[in-house]
Amino acid sequence: MAKLYVSFENGNPEQVIEFDPSHAPFHHDGESGSLLDILLGHGVELEHACGGNCACTTCHVIVTQGMAYLTENEEEEDDMLDKAPGLVSTSRLGCQAVMAEGEVKIFIPRHTINQQV
Amino acid sequence: MSSSPTFTATIEKIIERAPDTRSFFLRVANGQKLPFLPGQFLSFLLPIGGRTLTRAYTIASLPEEEGCLEICLNQVGDSPGSSYLFSLEEADVLCFTGPWGNFVLDQPTAAEYIFIADRVGVVPFRPMIARLLTAGGQHAARLLYAGPRSGDLLYATEWQRWERQCAHFSFRPLIAECEPEEYSIEKGLLPYVEQHFVKEARQHSRRFYICGIGRPVLLLRDLLRGAGYERQTVKYEKW
Repeated sequence: MAKLYVSFENGNPEQVIEFDPSHAPFHHDGESGSLLDILLGHGVELEHACGGNCACTTCHVIVTQGMAYLTENEEEEDDMLDKAPGLVSTSRLGCQAVMAEGEVKIFIPRHTINQQV
Repeated sequence: MSSSPTFTATIEKIIERAPDTRSFFLRVANGQKLPFLPGQFLSFLLPIGGRTLTRAYTIASLPEEEGCLEICLNQVGDSPGSSYLFSLEEADVLCFTGPWGNFVLDQPTAAEYIFIADRVGVVPFRPMIARLLTAGGQHAARLLYAGPRSGDLLYATEWQRWERQCAHFSFRPLIAECEPEEYSIEKGLLPYVEQHFVKEARQHSRRFYICGIGRPVLLLRDLLRGAGYERQTVKYEKW
């Protein structure tokens, strides 16, 4: 079993999701087994305006522990993250970062908006 | 469920643009006009299989156009989103958030713009090119548009009309002349880009916009960036 700890800037209570990675996909949004897929499949909402296609930054999360348990960024994710507000060195897109084992802690920032009008 | 403001819209008209490709004209409730930038998409909240799926579709209409918003999409195999939309009829209602997305062209700079698309990937380029051609400054622009058959090319008469009307815009259709299941960008689009923008006349002041479905978009991105075009000048959106 793997564990995903989720805290929220908006003040929602922290959640802990314990899951079997071999059961992915959990919700069919984003990459199979991605943070987005895990969250949605366990009833935790994460904005994903593009449907989890790496075409926006609304599923931006900040990894606070366990980065080694996530797949590495690809160029496509890096290109998109460049446009994310509040970018830090451990920023990831929830739809692209796949977690197959271990324990990971993430922080969901409040500002996920990239509407430009 | 999205925490962003949600709009409702009625499907006012549906038209067949090409085989398996339809435009949906949406009238937003209460006569609201939705401001957006050329290239942005709407995020639809679709009630499918007892839950709400989020699926994004690019806006094909121009920000300046009055009336309905147009989205244009193709039916993708067993995709639940497009299958759901293709089951709808005029007068049905949809919910969406947006507009979203950073793959936009708002204030053109003094550069040559190269738009590269295959099949339904051309949709964001309709408002982008319209913005470019009306922005003043005579921006040079080319549209390279590929597909398996000429009947698959969307808005073809519009591209041709714009080419006749604007000396600084050129439309280059690249037809592979094959069945859709045999189609790939290697049959025309990729070699064309390589010949004209990599092997010959490499001008690093160009701005490339690439849009399409899946791996071909990344192949084109890598070809251009690998040839020395700066990362920020090769923009792309992959669905």
